[in-house]
Order: sequence, then C-alpha cells, then structure tokens
Amino acid sequence: MKIFNSLTKSAFLFSVILTFTLSLAAQTVDEGKALFSANCTSCHSMKDRIVGPALKDAHKRHDEAWMIKWIKNSQALIKSGDPVAVKLLADYNGSVMTAFENLSDVQIKSVIAYIKAESENPTADKASTETKTAGVAPDSNLVTRINWLLIIISILLIWVISLVFSILSLISDIQGKPVINWNFLNSKFSLVFFVVGMIAVIWEFYVHGPLTVFNEGPASAHGINYDNMFMITLILTGIVFVITQALLFWYGYKYKSDGKRKALYYPDNHKIEFWWTIIPAVVLTILVIKGLITWTEMTTHSSLEARRVEVFGYQFNWATRYAGADNKLGNHDFRQVGKINLLGVDTNDSKAYDDIIVSNELHFEVNTPVILAFRAKDVIHSAYMPHFRVQMNVVPGLPTYFAFTPTVTTREMRIKMKKPGFDYILLCNKICGAAHYNMKMKVVVETKSEYESYLKSQTPLVASKITNSPKAVALK
Amino acid sequence: MSDHTLHAEHAEHEDHGHHKESFISKYIFSMDHKMISRQFLITGIIMGTIGMLMSLIFRLQLAYPDMRFPFLEGIIGHWGKDGKLDPNFYLALITIHGTIMVFFVLTAGLSGTFSNLLIPLQCGARDMASPFLNMLSYWFFFMSSCVLLFSLFVKDGPASAGWTVYPPLSALPSAIPGSGMGMTLWLVSMILFIGSALLGGINYIATVLNMRTKGMKMTRLPLTIWAFLMTAVLGLLSFPVLLGGSLLLVFDRSFGTSFYLSEIVAEFAGGIERTGGSPILFQHLFWFLGHPEVYIILLPALGITSEVIATNSRKPIFGYRAMIASILAIAVLSFIVWGHHMFITGMNPFLGSVFMLGTLIIAVPSAVKTFNYLATLWRGNLKLTPAMMFAIGLVSFFISGGLTGIYLGNAALDINLHDTYFVVAHFHLVMGSAAIFGMMSGIYHWYPKLFGRMLNETAGQIHFWLTFISAYCVFFPMHFMGLAGVPRRYYANTAYDQFNVFVDMNQFITIAALIGGAAQLIFLINFFYSMFKGKRTVQNPWNSNTLEWTAPVEHYHGNWLGEIPHVYRWPYDYSKPGAERDFIPQNVPDEGQTDPMEEPHVAPVERREKAIPVEA
Repeated sequence: MKIFNSLTKSAFLFSVILTFTLSLAAQTVDEGKALFSANCTSCHSMKDRIVGPALKDAHKRHDEAWMIKWIKNSQALIKSGDPVAVKLLADYNGSVMTAFENLSDVQIKSVIAYIKAESENPTADKASTETKTAGVAPDSNLVTRINWLLIIISILLIWVISLVFSILSLISDIQGKPVINWNFLNSKFSLVFFVVGMIAVIWEFYVHGPLTVFNEGPASAHGINYDNMFMITLILTGIVFVITQALLFWYGYKYKSDGKRKALYYPDNHKIEFWWTIIPAVVLTILVIKGLITWTEMTTHSSLEARRVEVFGYQFNWATRYAGADNKLGNHDFRQVGKINLLGVDTNDSKAYDDIIVSNELHFEVNTPVILAFRAKDVIHSAYMPHFRVQMNVVPGLPTYFAFTPTVTTREMRIKMKKPGFDYILLCNKICGAAHYNMKMKVVVETKSEYESYLKSQTPLVASKITNSPKAVALK
Repeated sequence: MSDHTLHAEHAEHEDHGHHKESFISKYIFSMDHKMISRQFLITGIIMGTIGMLMSLIFRLQLAYPDMRFPFLEGIIGHWGKDGKLDPNFYLALITIHGTIMVFFVLTAGLSGTFSNLLIPLQCGARDMASPFLNMLSYWFFFMSSCVLLFSLFVKDGPASAGWTVYPPLSALPSAIPGSGMGMTLWLVSMILFIGSALLGGINYIATVLNMRTKGMKMTRLPLTIWAFLMTAVLGLLSFPVLLGGSLLLVFDRSFGTSFYLSEIVAEFAGGIERTGGSPILFQHLFWFLGHPEVYIILLPALGITSEVIATNSRKPIFGYRAMIASILAIAVLSFIVWGHHMFITGMNPFLGSVFMLGTLIIAVPSAVKTFNYLATLWRGNLKLTPAMMFAIGLVSFFISGGLTGIYLGNAALDINLHDTYFVVAHFHLVMGSAAIFGMMSGIYHWYPKLFGRMLNETAGQIHFWLTFISAYCVFFPMHFMGLAGVPRRYYANTAYDQFNVFVDMNQFITIAALIGGAAQLIFLINFFYSMFKGKRTVQNPWNSNTLEWTAPVEHYHGNWLGEIPHVYRWPYDYSKPGAERDFIPQNVPDEGQTDPMEEPHVAPVERREKAIPVEA
C-alpha cells in the first residue's frame, strides 16, 4: 500500500515535470522559430543549400557546444583551427557567416531546438518533397539530356546555316548578282518590325503595366506628386518615342535605294535646326522645373511633430529603433556595437533609455509624418520601399534620413489590391553580399491605436523608469 | 607574301628606312596602327564573347531559380555544386560581366579598334604620332585582360561587389569572399587598363591635332574623327581620377588606411577599427570617370553611325556643324552630371537639383543628333547593308534608351527607380546595345579595310535581325519589372510574392538572350571565316568619300604608297548635283565651289535652287 502510494505520488510528480518540460520545450521551439525567421532565413533554408547550408539535421552533424561557438563567432572558430569549421568555410566558397554575438546561449539553444523540431517534423518534410515533385525542379537526368540535345541541335543548325550560305554564295557567284535582295527585304522588314514592335509595346503596357507599383497608387503623401511627375514624363517621352521610331523605320522603308533615284543633296537647314533645338529645350525646361519642384517638396519637411524611427541595416537583416515617449532617438556610437548592443546605441545617453528596438519589422502610424533615420553597421545598403516611393542609401558612418507620411494602412491596401496576404516591404537595394537578395523587412502601416498598442507591447531598452545613475543601464 | 617587293616599292616613295619584318614584329609587337587595331578588335571580340557567356549563365539562374543545371558544375566547378549557381558567384558574374563589357569591349574594343584604324587613315597620316606608345597601349590592355581573366580562377572567386565596386563591400574581405584576392586582381587589372587608355588617348589627340594631311581642316574632318577626338579628351581627363580612386582603394585594402571607411567595427574590418573616411568619396571619384565613361563608349559609336548613315544614304550628313557642336556639348556636359548616380546617397538635395539640371540638358544635344540622323535618312537613297542596318538599329536603341534617361536623370523620379531593373533596361539599351550596334556597324563597314576581304552579307543581315529583335525582347520588358520595384543584382526573386509574377517574363527574357547569344555565333563564324576565305574586296567597296578608301587594299606600313592624298572638300559630298557619280572623294580637287575652305558644303537647298537657274 505504502509502495503503491509512493508510486502514484512519484507518477504524479513525474507527469507534472513532464508536462512542464514539454511546455517549456514548446516555448523554446516557438522562441527559436521567431529567432530563426528573424535572423537565419536570409542565408539558410531547412531543405536547400542557398548562401549557407540547409539546416535540416544540423543538430545531428554538430554538437550543441560547437554550434553555439560557431553561431556566435564563426571567424574566431575558424582562426582557432577547428577542422570542421575550416572545412565548412571552404565548402561554402569562403562565405563568412555573420557573427551573432548578440544572441545569448539560451537563445541559440532555442534556435537549435527549433531546427531539431523542424527536422523531425514529418509534415514539413512531406510538404517539401511534394513541392519538389509537383514544382519546378524536374529530374536532373532529363535536364542533362535536354541540354545535350540542345547543344547537338544548335551545332546541326549552325552547320545547316553555313551550308545554305555557301550554296547561296555559289549561286550568286555563278549568276553574278546577289540571290537575296536584302535592300528590298530590309525595307519591308523595317516596316513590319515597327508595326509588330508597337503592338508589342502596347501589349506590354496592357499586360505588365498593371503589375507595376503605379497601378495601386502611392501609399504616401509625396507619392501623389511623384506619380504625377512620372505620368507627365511618360506621356511626353511616349509621344517622342512613337514619332521618332515611326520616322526612323518609315524612312528605312520609304527611301530604300531602287537603283534609279538619286538622293537629295540637303546638308543643312538652319531654320529647322533652330526649331528642333529649341523645342526639346523648352520641353525639357518644363520637365526640369516640374522635377525641381517635386524634388524640393520631397526633400524639405517640417521636423517638429514627426515621429522618429531609425532603420539599421547590417548583413543581411534590418532592425528598427523607435524613439519612445520622448520622441528623441538616443545617440549612437559604433564602438559600442557588439555582443548585446547590436545597434551601437550609446549607453551613456539617457535619451536612449526609452528607445524600443525591434528586429525585422517596421511599423508606421497612418497619416503621421515620420522621419526615418538610417544607419548601417558594415557595408552600404539601401532601404527601398517601392509602395511609398521611398528610397535612401544606408551608409556606414554617414547617417541619412528620409521624411515622409504614409497614407494608406496595410489593411486598406489589401482591400484595394484584392490581395489579402499583401504586406508592404522594405528591400535592400544596394549590393551588399551573398544574401543581398533576401535582405528584407515587413512594413506595417496601422491606425493610431494599433500603432500605440504595438509599441506598448514592446519592451524599451530600460524597462523601469530611468534611474539617476546612468551606470545602472540594463544594456550591460 | 611578297613582303620584300612591297617594301622595296614603299622605300622608293618614302625615305623610310626599310627593315625586315619578322613574324613577331609584324603580328605581335607590331607598331603599325592597322595591326594594333586588329589586335584590339580580336581581343575585344574574345572578351565580349566571355562577357556574353557570363550573362547567359546568370540569366539561366534568374529565369529558373529552382532548376538545377548539371553542366554548370562542369564549367564553373565548385561554384556550381549540384548544378546550382552559388550566390557569391552570381555576384561575381554580374561584376565581371559589367567590367568586361564596359571597359574591355566597349571602351578598348570599340574606341581602341576604330580610333587606331581610322584616325591615321581618315586624317591622312602615315601612322599614329607615336607608334611605340600605341603598341604599349595594346599590350597594357592585353595584360589587363589577362589579369582580369586570371582573377576568375582564384580560390575565393573574382571581384563580386558589382562593376562599380563600392567600398566598404569591395574593401573588406569579410564582407564578401570576392573582396579578397579577386578584388586585388580587379584593381591591378583596372590600373593597367587605365594606363592603356591614357597611352592610347594621348596618341589619338596628338595625331588628330598635328598630323592631318594638307587641306584637312578641322571642319573637314569626318564626324568619326571628331567623335574619337572628343572620346580621347574625355578619357584623358577622367581616367586619371579613377586611377586615383582605385589607388586609394588599394591603400584601404592593403595598407590599413581609411579613405573610404568610416565607423567600421574592429571585428568586421580585420581587427582594426576603421573610421574617418567616407564611402561616398569613392562614389564621387568613380562616377567622375563613370559618367564621362558612358560617353567614351557612346561617342565613337555615334561617330561611326554618322559616317555609315551618310555613306549608305548617299546623302551628306545633315547639319554637320550642329553634329560637331552636339559632340562638344555632350563632352563638356558629361563632366558635370556624375552626381545623378548618387541622388539617394544622402547627398545635399540642393546638389541633387544641380546635377539634375545638367543631366536633363544633355538630352538637348542628344535630341539634335537623333533628328539629324533622321533628316539624313529623309529622301536618301538607302543602301541597306548590314552596316547600315546596325546603324539604324543604333538610332532606334539610342531613342528608346535615351528617353528613359529623362526619368532617371530626374532626381525626384530616381528615388523609386534607382537600382531597379528600370536602370538595367535603360543603360543596356542606350549604352550597351546602342554602342555594341555602333561597333558592329563599324566592323561590317570597315571589315574590307581591316582584312582586305568582305563579310558574308546574308549572314550579316541575319545576324542583325536576330540581334536587334532579341535585344529589344531582352531589355524592353525589364522596364516593367523596374516599375514594379524589382531590384537589380538579386540572385532570385522567389522570396517576394510581388515579384513572383515576373517568372514568365524572366523566362522569356532568358530565352531571348539565348537566341541573341546564338546569333552572335553566326557573327563569330562569319568574322573568322571571312578573314581567310571571304571574297576579296575592291578598294572602295561602299563608294565612300573618306580618305581611308584611297589607300590600297593591301596593308603597307605608311598606308599610302605614294604621296599622302591632299584634301579639297568635306567628306560628305554625296549625290551632289552636277557631279557625275553620287560621291566625290575628299581628295578630288574642287573647282566649282566659291570658297571651299570656309564653306564645308554649298548653300542650303532653297538658295541653291534659286541660284542654279541664274547660272544656267
């Protein structure tokens, strides 16, 4: 009885511990997933080699302690002569993995837990194989065969063409005149090319025009001016394009040599030349003036009530910093960039204490001016938000900014575009390394209340009220 | 060959000491401008073929990002493991493709070939001012090409920071593997290349200014020579700036200076904190060359087009003086517009306004040139040879690509278009395709002068149409990708829902590019086959006016066997009323004209029509 009692007791205890650890494990996996998508997906996927290796079963290939060392600072590990690390670098053609010294051991462990869970997840695996068979990647053998076939066909084609040429030139030698009258053919082709080409241009505008960002209109206040400027330029250049190309190919058709006519000796006409210098000059003056007005409007701003947000670029991700309650961004100092302080926020500046740092997501409040400040850690990036008509280079050592007002919330834009899954994006648009093409961030425009509750849900740098002593900074 | 007798003949007419030419002095270390021109051309064609093949590889990646191409592993080894292009090597390919095309093909291959061939022949000179410098210019170019190609084989791959090599990406090997040894070799190659361009440029200018034959006033020079002259001036003034910029980059990379580095943490910069410089400084230095470079590429092509269009329209070029004026205007303006590449670097907006003004003004001389070409075609007697078709193609590309320049030169519009596919479309049309077409036009037109044989016409025409159509199919749709915000230099767009809609377009572009590439095969076969087996040419196959066609078909060191022809008229006396034939070469004495020195041509048509009845 006693034994039974103690058994039930211990069983109960065991089950409690089990559920607790299980829930803890689930929690770590979730945290790992969040960290993974924020930090790793630029260069890694679970099943495919992209910039870095596929991470499926990575936990089986390396032990945890090694992985923590590698993720924190792979360069140091390589320098220490670790054979596995050296080989990994060589296998991936010298691509250096970004050092994640800002992640704690616990965080890295949760990422590893996520990788483990994902590797063992049969549904993910199944899904990936399904897409493989149904998707675009065909049997590599078939591709090789098609390649060889193509090469053989092209060699045959070249051979046949050269045969035809030699026969034609033989005939023309015998007849004493060229077999093909290219003068005649080219004049006809020239006309056909123009007509077909213009139809193709119209078709392009009709089919691909709606895919451009001009279709749904701008999502910012200055974007309206931008789009007007663009349309004026499009119309003026469009007219010139059609007229000049038409004349070019029409003349090519009309004035071909027929062996009877003589060309008109017409070397000069000052009157015509005067006019066709003046007219483009006047049209361009209009464009210049309109352009200067648009440009000046875009680049001047009143800074008083604008919100301040900083966008920080580093290989290969973005981070954002909101100014907090005082609407002042704390100073920064690149020498403090390091283990925990990824953005190099100046820990001695009390303005920084209420700043909020978020990785990989950018939120705006609709219809509120914002001054976006940009900084980079390593190389030049460029923050490009096509829907807002915003772009600015993000340069290490040279803080830049762009002031604008978002006017359409994400929700409104989804309805407007009839795409429920749509999200604004911020892209890196300056070549910055191997994973440049994956360096992106989701941008959300929301209402005032949503924006405020979003910020409230984030933790400021110093969670408690600012203490008197600046030494007591939670960053350390 | 009857080399000896030719030289004996040659020596009779000239006091030139005759020396025995060995294989090496004739074909390799030649100081004859015609041979150097052929060397430039063939090296340029080889480099161009390599550059084009690179573009086909990365086009395959862009069209089929999920497909595997096992043959890649055979070509590029570990960079194409399992038939998948490595993202680092993708960036290396676009970098080297850009470098090769801009510098090695369209600068050296185009200007090097035709300046060398035509400046002495069209000015009426026995050779360049300094044949030795000319030879050095080629060999510097050759070494530079070799170094660049060698860099493809280093362990960490060639330079990968884009052809504009902006630091810090290009300065720090920890940023991208290609910024190690590959980047060093890129810089060495570029410094050698600048040496070549400067040696060539000095020579071209000296020859045009000092060695024109009797009667060849500046206002009687063919427009080709005007274009080459201004090209050389542009190169001479701007290439040294790139040399300086490159040297500072070498210092930053190899000697620990920080001209271009600011606020770079120690771990990222190899253990030493790097601060105090400015990454934007490099962009200023680079584009101070980079923008004139666009015109270094384009002006020779426009010069060639002027000559080819006039000859094959059998009409004088319309507005000869306006054409010269617009060349000069473009050359001067090209120096004050470089900032339009940097509107969004955080430059002072006022500076942006200034650069925008300058940039849009360039459109005026460009428009004048286009209208003048159209007016030259108007009521002409067009001989639609391959050279002429390529020249017409150039005008078409120049219009299409030039007009999009009005968008990009506008600082406001540039904000959303900068570094997107719109830019790729723009410069591939206006400076890529247009300049390549100018070069092709030149090759088809002067092939008889270069090699004494004719190219096969049918092959040339097929080459033209395939290239022309495929170039438009490749670059025109890219505008729309740019307007949708697709950035350039992206290895794949698969991560973006908005860009996935362009999968079809990307495949279409790649197929068009492959067809365009195959068309170049026709050209290559035609080019090398005709060199040995082509039909022999007559002295003046196109009935052209310029002096090069008065020189014998065989190449002599000294160009003309007898005295250098004198020049009596401008080069565009085509279909002149009263003349027997529809062309009057420049060396034909002019009797009827009142003051040939002052008037390059007779009065405009209305006045002449009035004048003729009075004379009759």
